[in-house]
Amino acid sequence: MIPLLKRLGLNSYDVDKSPHIEADTEKCVKCQEKPCIASCPAGTYERSPNGGIVVHYERCLECGGALVICPFNAIRFKFPKGGVKYKYG
Amino acid sequence: MSFDAELIIVGGGLAGLSAGITATRLGINAILLERGEYSGSKNVSGGRIYVHSLVKLIPEALEEAPLEREIEKETFEFYCGEKKVTFSFEEKGKRNSFSVLRAKLDSWLAKRAEEAGLLISYSTLVLGAERESEGITLKTNRGQLTAPLVIDASGVTSVVFRSLGLRKFSPEKWMLGVKEVVKGQPTQGEARVIVGAVKGIKGGGFVYANRDTFSVGVTATYDSLPRAEVPAYDLVEKFRERVGVEGEVLEYSAHAIPYYGYGNLPSLTGRNLMAVGDSAGFLINDGFTIRGMDLAIASGMMAGIASKKVIDSGNFNDTSIYEALLRESFILRHLELAYNRFKLINSPHFLSSYPEILCQLLSDMFSVGEERRSLLEDTILRLKERGITIGRAIEDVWGFVR
Repeated sequence: MIPLLKRLGLNSYDVDKSPHIEADTEKCVKCQEKPCIASCPAGTYERSPNGGIVVHYERCLECGGALVICPFNAIRFKFPKGGVKYKYG
Repeated sequence: MSFDAELIIVGGGLAGLSAGITATRLGINAILLERGEYSGSKNVSGGRIYVHSLVKLIPEALEEAPLEREIEKETFEFYCGEKKVTFSFEEKGKRNSFSVLRAKLDSWLAKRAEEAGLLISYSTLVLGAERESEGITLKTNRGQLTAPLVIDASGVTSVVFRSLGLRKFSPEKWMLGVKEVVKGQPTQGEARVIVGAVKGIKGGGFVYANRDTFSVGVTATYDSLPRAEVPAYDLVEKFRERVGVEGEVLEYSAHAIPYYGYGNLPSLTGRNLMAVGDSAGFLINDGFTIRGMDLAIASGMMAGIASKKVIDSGNFNDTSIYEALLRESFILRHLELAYNRFKLINSPHFLSSYPEILCQLLSDMFSVGEERRSLLEDTILRLKERGITIGRAIEDVWGFVR
């Protein structure tokens, strides 16, 4: 996880950490498999002690994977204030 | 009813911008909505473009576009445990495909689009769409916009089609792509396609040489990720270690990619609606080439031409002209041509059994001991070991070359 965070630190956002995805906790059914955890390339989702997920919004890369993989559509895009700043350009 | 524009394009990637440029050149009053602060900021791609469509859109593109390096060398690598098979081919001066960094290319194209007169609204996220009697109303973070014709270029999540109930999320038809841009000094333009470097994932990886960086990435089907040896967030790192690309990581990004294949393509049009690029599922993987950008640009151009025809006809419900144009063009033809191999690549043993058999055969050929079999004998034995009949193998080889 540490190299990952280092990687994320190097990349993408400047310092803007405002969330740009949103997990709808009412829709999350706390499923056993948690495909969101397995398929997120940024480690955004972690198991929470109560069987649900903890969302680390600041890590999200907006790949859209969790939107696709969640069978219950519990994750969606949300627009951050001021936009997300990327390094290139 | 009054409209905000004749045409609204959702998404400012290559497909959306090409549609916008074409439509604007034809005199259509179009607006493009882009989620990011600039075009390309939200985009992730492998980093290799076949330039024929780009040159058609902008004839002076090869001189002006911020392309990285001309690809002069193609390398295919198969990993099976400790063994590795490599096949490479070199051709100089062809100028057919280039490595690119999309943040630069897309913002350049956006500038060209704005010069052509296209209105681009940045930092504008489309949150939903509704059908009105004569057009489509898009709800955005900046308010509502209505147009009689909408081009969905929003990428694989195809937000407009989905909001209107014309598309569903389908993880089995999507892949995850993860990419790093790594500092380095490439000596020539090279594209490496790599299979089997990370165990357990269904997919492959690539390394493209840019001017002074490498694009390194992995693609994997979503269903294989939970069973993979490494978690998604470590995929690229494991892959890089395996294929020997070292250096400072400048950029880390990820994106969902369409992986439909000709036989499973989603709806390309709807009333008042057209889908282009990734939104329409235009990605070709035929085992030799993996391409999406040339299809995105060409489909965007066709949607631009189609929108002119639709607007002239005044009948916005009928967008079938776009599909007709696609059928006449190379896009659907190439997708259809590639479909056999696409199916084969996705068959359960193609990317695991055959490379392993090949590795085993080569290993037997190059090791000397007291035991020795003829190549034919060895081949039959190795196929048998994996439960593949000779008939099946011939059928698969035929399917691949066909």
